[in-house]
Amino acid sequence: MAVKQYDVLIVGSGHSGGMAAKILTAKGISCLMLNAGPQADYERDRTFKSAYELPYRGFNEPGRLPHVFQANEFNANQWVDEKEIPYTYPPDAPYNWVRVRLLGGRSLFWARQSFRLSDYEFKPREIDGSGDDWPISLSDMAPYYSRVEEIFRVVGRKEGWPQFPDGNFVEMNFPPDTETIKRFTELANKQGIQVSKWRYSMGRNGLASSINLLLPDALATGKLDIVENAIVRQVTVDKNTGLANGAHFIDRHSRREMHVKTRAVVLAAGTLESTRLLLNSNIGNSSGVMGHYLIDQMYGVSVVAAVPEACGGKAKPGLMGGSSFIPRFRNLKKSDKRNFIKGYCVGIRSGAGASPNFFPLYGEELQKKLDSYQGACVEGSIFGERVPRYENHVRIDKNVTDKWGIPVLHIEARDGENERNLCKDAADTLDELFHEAGWERICKTDRVNPPGYSIHEVGTCRMGNDPKTSVLNKWCQSHDVKNLFVVDGASFVTCGWQNPTMTILSLSMRASEYMADQMKQRNI
Amino acid sequence: MKRRNFVRSLLVAPAGSAALVAAEDSQHPNTQAHDTGKPSPKPNLPTRERAFRAENVPKLQTVQSDLTSNGYQHFFTITQFATLSKLGAVLMPPMKDKPGALDAKAPEFLDFLISVSPLDRQEVYGVGLDKLNAQATDRFHKPFAELNATQVDAILRPLLVARPWSEDFPDDPLKNFVARVHEDLRKATVNSREWADSSKGHPFARGFGRASGFYWRPIDPVTES
Repeated sequence: MAVKQYDVLIVGSGHSGGMAAKILTAKGISCLMLNAGPQADYERDRTFKSAYELPYRGFNEPGRLPHVFQANEFNANQWVDEKEIPYTYPPDAPYNWVRVRLLGGRSLFWARQSFRLSDYEFKPREIDGSGDDWPISLSDMAPYYSRVEEIFRVVGRKEGWPQFPDGNFVEMNFPPDTETIKRFTELANKQGIQVSKWRYSMGRNGLASSINLLLPDALATGKLDIVENAIVRQVTVDKNTGLANGAHFIDRHSRREMHVKTRAVVLAAGTLESTRLLLNSNIGNSSGVMGHYLIDQMYGVSVVAAVPEACGGKAKPGLMGGSSFIPRFRNLKKSDKRNFIKGYCVGIRSGAGASPNFFPLYGEELQKKLDSYQGACVEGSIFGERVPRYENHVRIDKNVTDKWGIPVLHIEARDGENERNLCKDAADTLDELFHEAGWERICKTDRVNPPGYSIHEVGTCRMGNDPKTSVLNKWCQSHDVKNLFVVDGASFVTCGWQNPTMTILSLSMRASEYMADQMKQRNI
Repeated sequence: MKRRNFVRSLLVAPAGSAALVAAEDSQHPNTQAHDTGKPSPKPNLPTRERAFRAENVPKLQTVQSDLTSNGYQHFFTITQFATLSKLGAVLMPPMKDKPGALDAKAPEFLDFLISVSPLDRQEVYGVGLDKLNAQATDRFHKPFAELNATQVDAILRPLLVARPWSEDFPDDPLKNFVARVHEDLRKATVNSREWADSSKGHPFARGFGRASGFYWRPIDPVTES
């Protein structure tokens, strides 16, 4: 029997791959999706357990997933095992590469915070003179954001602030703020800091993933086939035309080598896996920029304070609870001169407790402390923007291969003075606001988690108008290989402080529609 | 002979396989009769055994080994284990209606956990336990395990450090050990069956990670080659 013919190969099944499949198949283009891992069966693969029923009593299995701080014994099997697919890094600069290879990828487990980038992120040179602008602006992206927000059913409060672009939100009545949130908002506003609400995707039935919001539509067209456990090791190129003509892949279980031939290729394997695949394929890098400008966001800076009138279980109804969200407020004007560029957002949560590690105490003395602070704390934590730097990069480590013999990535990413100063400002600002509110500081840190921890790694195939300084054009299309598109986070020029998912989805939608149009016109 | 073949096929055939169904069919009286060409119907017997169905296979009740046996304590030396147990008694004593580390057999569990941990974690524990015991011997002329509460406090309190972030451990080796063992003893206690039994109706214990939740089994794992 002759094998089926497909127009487009899509590598990866997360948000970006799912969106590409949905758009392309809707336009009558046949697609084959290869996913490196299996499909999880929520009925079969998941069960409710107590920690004491697990082999390691809820501790992480020793030595497993050392760089996935989000891992615990309950969820350990959802993450990529570093022993199966290792990566290398300098001893003084560990990187937390957090991966999922299940069908649907990380879209199965994301935190659903849903923001648009603003022109402060798309056009940073105009604000702080640093780095490079994207070749697109918010106005180019806005129509796509709106459509994505509709699919993902994003909830948010409209504000009309340029640094926090409003979206196509589901209408919702937000509950009234508690006294602590009101007090904090009032004090922040006095300092010119605008306070809003979190924005998040409701999705459907408690899930906002490609497997329930994107791929079912694509499959319903009859134009999509999905293959599980297909590990792509190389994008292949026609020697005569220089165009991509498919890919070599390996069956995850049998290790059988396969090849699929298609008219075009879409990479959506997740930022660093797409870049790894391109570097291993040795294509698309005439600029020499591929792998460079790796960025993600800084997590870890936080301040926790106790509200005295709530301590000891004395909180009256309406005092504690609730949350608020502060979008970027630093360096919004050229006149805002600080010892760092860019900015950070802050999440505020009221009604938390204290962690045992906050106190140099033990036994009953510690427990009394914890009991007194139970439900009486307000916590502020930040997501900070890192500066894109050429030297923060990935490259192939030819000395190490994964379980399937594919060379792995070497990742080098370090923070600089700008990141340290930004984090210090964030911790000091929060501390000052909490102090003004009359709350007792019980924890303050400007320490940041290792790069990669945010699971928002972007860049390494950045887009631009100049093929000498960028890998992709403004349509996420390779400058070098016209029928090759990279639709995940690899195209980002800056990372912003925002969760990148809405932007990745919108870029993928935009790129896929352009691609379909070009295929229709026979330009691809 | 046929009975022996049937048992053998049960041992080698995967559940629901054609082989098993064939073996069942071979027991069928009508089939035997048909084979011999001499039907001899017996009206009081069923005409056919029920086909294999997975849902009919009994699910037998089992219990966890913790309920039937004690862990074999083998990793730490006797002195180290005595020091660890003393730390458990002091750092995480029974409080109100909650069990303490010793009730939850947290030291025994940590003996296992550390024994299967990477070398650097084993060293942190080994060195830390030995140093605490050495301090006790130097200052109070008796092992750490035999110190009274005041003496233990004199040694431990200067070693306690406030940590804003749970992953942030001190550089000083002994302070590092105390922070880790404190956290591990608390977690091993709160995640124990004994703690869960005392928390009926409150399955989530705040501040200690997840005491219960959805566990993901290995998903289509790759077999080693």
